[in-house]
Amino acid sequence: MSVEQVERELARLRMDEDGTPGLRASVLNLVTVTDEESAGEVTRIVSKLAGRFPCRAIVMISDTEEQDANLDIRVSAFCDVQGGTGSQVCAEQVEIHAEGPPAHHLMSLAGPLLLPDLPVFLWYPGPFTPNLPEFSSMADLADRIVVNSAAASDSGVCLQELSELAQDTSMPAVGDLQWVGLSPWRSLVTALFDPPDRREELEQIHRVEILHDSRGESRALLLAGWLASTLGWRPESARDNDGAREFVFDGPSGEITVALDPGSEDASLRRVRLYGRELSFQVSRHRELTEAMSTVMRGEELLGERTVQLGFFDQDIILGEELRFRGRDESYAAALRTVAEMLEL
Amino acid sequence: MPETLQQNVLRDEQRLPAVPDPGVVVIFGASGDLTARKLVPALYDLAQGRRLPMEFAVVGISRTPMSHDEFRQKLRKGLDEQRAGSVSEDVWESFSKGLFYLPGDSKKPETYEELKAFLQQLDEERGTGGNRVYYLSSSPSLFSTIVERLGEAGMSQEEEGSGYARLVIEKPFGRDLESAKELNGDILRYFREKQIYRIDHYLGKETVQNILALRFSNGIFEPIWNQHYVDHVQITVAEDIGVGTRGAFYEEAGALRDIVQNHVMQVLCLTAMEPPVAFDADSLREEKVKVLKAVRPIPEDEVGEYAVRGQYDGGWVFGEEVKGYREEGNVAPDSETETYVALKLLVDNWRWAGVPFYVRAGKRMPKKSTEIAIQFHKTPHTPFSGPDTRGLEPNVLVIRVQPEEGVSMKIGAKVPGSGFEVRSVNMDLLYGSAFMEEAPDAYQRLLLDLMLGDPTLFIRADEAEGAWEILQPVMESWSKDGHSARYAAGTWGPDEAAALLGHDGREWRRP
Repeated sequence: MSVEQVERELARLRMDEDGTPGLRASVLNLVTVTDEESAGEVTRIVSKLAGRFPCRAIVMISDTEEQDANLDIRVSAFCDVQGGTGSQVCAEQVEIHAEGPPAHHLMSLAGPLLLPDLPVFLWYPGPFTPNLPEFSSMADLADRIVVNSAAASDSGVCLQELSELAQDTSMPAVGDLQWVGLSPWRSLVTALFDPPDRREELEQIHRVEILHDSRGESRALLLAGWLASTLGWRPESARDNDGAREFVFDGPSGEITVALDPGSEDASLRRVRLYGRELSFQVSRHRELTEAMSTVMRGEELLGERTVQLGFFDQDIILGEELRFRGRDESYAAALRTVAEMLEL
Repeated sequence: MPETLQQNVLRDEQRLPAVPDPGVVVIFGASGDLTARKLVPALYDLAQGRRLPMEFAVVGISRTPMSHDEFRQKLRKGLDEQRAGSVSEDVWESFSKGLFYLPGDSKKPETYEELKAFLQQLDEERGTGGNRVYYLSSSPSLFSTIVERLGEAGMSQEEEGSGYARLVIEKPFGRDLESAKELNGDILRYFREKQIYRIDHYLGKETVQNILALRFSNGIFEPIWNQHYVDHVQITVAEDIGVGTRGAFYEEAGALRDIVQNHVMQVLCLTAMEPPVAFDADSLREEKVKVLKAVRPIPEDEVGEYAVRGQYDGGWVFGEEVKGYREEGNVAPDSETETYVALKLLVDNWRWAGVPFYVRAGKRMPKKSTEIAIQFHKTPHTPFSGPDTRGLEPNVLVIRVQPEEGVSMKIGAKVPGSGFEVRSVNMDLLYGSAFMEEAPDAYQRLLLDLMLGDPTLFIRADEAEGAWEILQPVMESWSKDGHSARYAAGTWGPDEAAALLGHDGREWRRP
């Protein structure tokens, strides 16, 4: 199938029943590099995204180990019917299976199929490392790289590599779905210190406890990294005790201990506690429920509490949040730098 | 104070949304529909979405005797109706703990003493920090009294370290120029303009804000957005519904006061204004006021040439037979109240000299539609022969605000085949579809803005008065001559409205 044939076929798929061309209100290109096993899930996510982010998705499934060259291209369109007129708005998907030599040249396949004048997001839904063979050439096409640091077999290594990548100004900006998923937590922790009389407590935090499970390690590290980089804590030492990690920081008001406990049984990120001079603060989530509770305590006395929605959990919604963001995320880069320093201790 | 103590440094980043300071929203007229149907659902959405502080409370006031719990139950019922199936029990339980009710007569000073003490108690118990929003959702006839009582009780003052005191007023802002000035004068005795937030929920709609985005973030439109290229502009705010249960209100108001003075004038301003230097309250509102000032006054003895009013008779709307306005509940059988208004307005400034703005608003139109149509001049000359260009019309750029937000552009294109036949084709783009995320409810946006202290999307006193000033001669003329032209429900208004454009050799477009 040539580029022209792909374009023609996509136009045909967008046609309404009466043969008129369907609307194409595209906002971005989404290039995905994945494997055969995950392709179905990626297609499902792209189809769910179609309504909110009409885009051209190019799903690349490559197998570089195969000796014989093989190239298979399939196109599909996911259309949402709009309001009263019944007009369709479509997202297009081009699925490219490349085996053997073509799999080493994915850029040559993706490049000509990109919609012009729209940003290109390069999304790695699976394990990511900048050492992937096709990465640097694919990155040349991209305006933003989106990864999932929790998909790596070792989140710590992945975060360290991402830290280097985020500091490399010759590379596109980097986004991480784990950082996006952490946003509601960061928002809730931040809100605990909005009342002016609590600001002093923020300066006096001396202990942080983060309860997570193995899936939530990346988020727990990023949460610790974000607090430390924002509050000016420098990593001093680290201790590993049966999977539970403890980091000691030197902050403006003295020593701070951050304990990461992987003992959560019912949620990837279960609870974060912060201890100030007089007050303690907690944000917690029960099981995988959509709500989280924030509390403020003075000793045993409850000073305030509230329950809100944590927000989004589905991959397509998290990815959608990330696709809204443009440019470099300095807070994420700073959190990554601190995480990398913590892991080097 | 060290920098970290002056602000919450954790919030200093682009991906965390702004959250207002702790505070209390006091709603006067809290037993009314607006509180249960709009305000509290919007506040619940904000709370659920982590956009409200933990230290937040709502205090409802009205004369109806009710306990805190009864008030909560009433609001819960309203919330279930408005947000069917999406209310979280846990979030509601947490949110509802901050809902309180004080029965009281808003005319009596003792109500305010009681309120003041209760708010102080909330500050101590819930940490609401002395910040107050007073939301006037009561009958407009009580606005001045409530403001006066608040002022007398010392509750309108913003002293250093005491928190803010903001006043929210729902439209209508008066019922004519004189009463608007009087109301503004009454309010300004106790509140500074900076503290006053006049709500026209139309401005909270994403789609209305998108008019600004389209005009001022796209370089291709602004150079042709003037009298050199534009022949005329048509603004339509059409509803397919009748007055329903609002007969009594409508009898007093009419379409001119209900829709034209606020919604239509706002859309006119956003369409005709100069680019503001920044998207902030003063820059935006300055430019809107300049438009209102530039609208040529309609001489009272020439109102008939510039304004048409109509009233719907029975008819058919989308296959449903509907009754006429006079048959509606709480409407006088001989009522002449207008349910339709069409105006021809001229904006006398450099940009728009000689370009008429035809605006119309009506009920029981064939469909709900709000749109702005910019009709461009005909091409000065076409090289194609007469018969080949039959069906070729001047370019029209239509900004659809609702129901299907988008833009369409009518352009000439060659019909395939031999020869050079040219026809008009509509290029249609639903740009709303590019961001199909659920747009926040208008009240949600406006309530958040006012708690954050951003008055950009609220109406300033001179805007409200400017809009009344334009309409004053029309109201005065119509008050002397009580006749509204008739139109059948399900049509685009009376014949007289067609004649308004017909005199200028133009016609209304069909939205």
